[in-house]
Amino acid sequence: MKRGGRVWSWFWMVLGILYFFLPLVATFIFSLRAKKGVLSFLAYQQLFNDSGFIKGFSYSVLWGILTNIVGILIFVPTAYWVRLRAQQFRTAVEFITLLPFVIPAIVFVFGLVRTFSHPPFLIVDSPALLIAGYTVLSMPYMYRSIDTGLRSIDVRTLTEAAQSLGAGWGTILFRIILPNIRVAILSGAFLSFAIVMGEYILAQYLAKPAFAPFLAYLIQQKAYEPAAATVISFALTWACMGIINLFGRGQEGQIAGGH
Amino acid sequence: MTTLVSEKRDAPKARPAPHKISWVWLGVTPFFLFAFMFLLYPSSTIAVKSFQDTTTHLFTLNNFVHLLQNPNLLNAYWISIKISLITSLGGGIFGFFLAYSAIRGGLPPFMRTSLMTFCGVASNFAGVPLAFAFIALLSPSGVLTGWLRSVGYNPYFHGFQLYTFWGLSMVYMYFQFPLMVLVISPAIDGLRREWHEAAENLGASTFQYWRYVALPILLPSILGTMILLFGNSFGAFATAQALTGGSINLVTIMIGAQLRGDVLGDAGLGYALALGMVVVMAVAIAGYTLLQRKSERWLR
Amino acid sequence: MTHLTLSNISKQFAETAAVQDFNLDVAKGEFVSFLGPSGCGKTTTLRMIAGFEIPTTGKVVLDDVEITDKAPNQRNVGMVFQAYALFPNMSVAQNIGFGMQIHRESKATIKQRVEEMLALIHLEKKGNSFPYQLSGGQQQRVALARALANRPQVLLLDEPLSALDAKIRVSLRAEIRAIQRKLGITAIYVTHDQEEALSISDRIVVMYEGKIEQVGTPFEIYNFPQTAFVANFVGTLNTAVAEVVDPAKRLLRIDGVELESAEVMDGRQKGDKVTIAIRPERFNFIAQEKKANVLDCTIDNITFLGAVVRIQVLVGNNRFYMDTFNNPFLELPTIGAKNQITCSREAVLVLKN
Repeated sequence: MKRGGRVWSWFWMVLGILYFFLPLVATFIFSLRAKKGVLSFLAYQQLFNDSGFIKGFSYSVLWGILTNIVGILIFVPTAYWVRLRAQQFRTAVEFITLLPFVIPAIVFVFGLVRTFSHPPFLIVDSPALLIAGYTVLSMPYMYRSIDTGLRSIDVRTLTEAAQSLGAGWGTILFRIILPNIRVAILSGAFLSFAIVMGEYILAQYLAKPAFAPFLAYLIQQKAYEPAAATVISFALTWACMGIINLFGRGQEGQIAGGH
Repeated sequence: MTTLVSEKRDAPKARPAPHKISWVWLGVTPFFLFAFMFLLYPSSTIAVKSFQDTTTHLFTLNNFVHLLQNPNLLNAYWISIKISLITSLGGGIFGFFLAYSAIRGGLPPFMRTSLMTFCGVASNFAGVPLAFAFIALLSPSGVLTGWLRSVGYNPYFHGFQLYTFWGLSMVYMYFQFPLMVLVISPAIDGLRREWHEAAENLGASTFQYWRYVALPILLPSILGTMILLFGNSFGAFATAQALTGGSINLVTIMIGAQLRGDVLGDAGLGYALALGMVVVMAVAIAGYTLLQRKSERWLR
Repeated sequence: MTHLTLSNISKQFAETAAVQDFNLDVAKGEFVSFLGPSGCGKTTTLRMIAGFEIPTTGKVVLDDVEITDKAPNQRNVGMVFQAYALFPNMSVAQNIGFGMQIHRESKATIKQRVEEMLALIHLEKKGNSFPYQLSGGQQQRVALARALANRPQVLLLDEPLSALDAKIRVSLRAEIRAIQRKLGITAIYVTHDQEEALSISDRIVVMYEGKIEQVGTPFEIYNFPQTAFVANFVGTLNTAVAEVVDPAKRLLRIDGVELESAEVMDGRQKGDKVTIAIRPERFNFIAQEKKANVLDCTIDNITFLGAVVRIQVLVGNNRFYMDTFNNPFLELPTIGAKNQITCSREAVLVLKN
């Protein structure tokens, strides 16, 4: 690479780094300014004492875990079955898993509310709807992650070997297939978790406690606590991504969830 | 494209076992049931209701007609398109240069991995926290504003405003350019070194190489990804809502307002608005997919 | 007058010396192969001729012009890459005409030469096809045409056939040689396949660990290898450790058997251990013809290779291969039987280690 070219490369990198880090640095500094004239973690203390924060954060963690459980329970057997016996459904399934990209979250929740606010499906107030909605939002990432994992193991041979040794479907799925795609599942799970933790639209419009709506409320009410909460939110996203990277080839983190 | 051995062996073999057909269906039923209930049915509700008159429930195109006659809504579409165009072009170009610098720019290899990690995080760091981060940065009492003022430059005296269209564009760029970096990187990887050497060998300068070989090869990917960025921006809601409180007129903001309380005064119009959004997104995704397929053919 | 001269070329990468002490004179129209295993420096040397690497020391002179430091796009050498490197966004015709387009030749000239080239590689009808529509062999022929269309002074080929099927390799290497002869263009050909190098080169440069082991015609390289590496790398070879009995009479002993060699053994003394080498086809059974050296052996294995029958024998503790032409009417010996094999003095090579 000629020398002139390298200068340009550094130029773009520095620009990128600045753009990326300045808002984060500013937020962090801002979060330390709660006490006048001195840098302190007062905002964090106040935040952790705020029952709204604890509630919002804990509920989001809960929604994240539940979404992952539901996702794994539905998507792993489906992906496995499509690979093994139901290849004719593959295009249909893949199309469905890509639909959440085409339907923006705000439109999606619009549909959910309108559909489930009337009998016979009056479940708009139930947390189950929220979990279902989150599962749909995380579907492209979760399903594709699982599918990638399955692609890298010879599903047919493993199944046939297990069957010849007398295993039933349950055993095959949980004791043979699942452990072998552990990395892929975890990758998808952490990405889904990050999505749910940062998700605003569904929680807000389905009126459920969650971290992002709380943060939005906090911005209206307080000056420095939102900064602390933002820092925590970022650290969490970073941690999830870091863990995914630790697993090797994580999925390229494309735009996820409701933003 | 090479297929894995397992894929070849998973191909449907001639195993006609009539009683197994019901098993096949059973295996995928939970998924389809779930998708139908919570994705397809609600979505089709929107589609169907957008063609229904609000009171009589008869089939009509009136909702769309009203949409096109409503200056407020058309303006919302226009602003949404504007911000999407700007951030997809800006984010696309910036992201491309950034990705190229990290991958082929002669920088130490750890810069590439670091960049990919940062971009993975940044492209997910959208919505409310991102909006606040920029508030912390550039609001009148923001950190950067403070620093600039301390060296004698007040951006607000020069016409800068955060809670405006341009402020929002700046915030959108934060997740647009990382997305570009992530999606365009495989294409840049696919740009084989031998092409540059072959071009040089035949007498081409670096500029000629870019003009005749590299850019034409990359163009479908770049355009396709920019279209993806366009769709991404078009569908964004939480960031705009958190930053501007809904004061900027975007289609997503309008839909949110409609959801909270029928601000449009006409439920059918709301559905039409929502369907219009899906159509735009569908066109964007289709465009992206087509261009990706074309570039894959070349970058095999 | 040499056309291409490399003098004292060396290339240092961080810790490794990729190429050392490389000296070569190539005549105009000569076809020279660089032959050696992976990592021997042959591709690096080629790339230094092309300008993609700059030598650490030494000079490259082409047609009396020094090009050592010249940029790759200023050298007028044509390169054919292992991975074809055809521009995927251009048709075959556009690929071939690219060099001329860069040099601003007229449209008419370009069109005419592209047609010439297409005829040369026998792909007249494929001008408007795109690379992804062609097979590997066709793509490589287009790559060749693209390099030649620019009328380069030297043609450089970097393992051009490695990515292709065996059958295509054989036919395509003959085509490459035919085209090179027809155009009279100087060519440097890098390969790790010794059969390829032997079959099409005027001269071969055998390389190992960055250094030249031997330069010579295919005949010379095969029949008179100068080092153990060359002898082992090119063709099959029987080697054994022997003890010098009498340097003046050129007598050696292996496992109690005395052999006479035709090699001059100055500098060797009685009792020295040397490595001897004998090509399998230089042996024959004593029943066919008695030659200077006779060795008692036991038949160990017989492998039928088609045109050649390879017989493995045990001579003392040494395992030797003997190659003989297939003859349907010849009775093959039984395994385990004792026999005697013979070879001439000239067949016994003493290697410089």
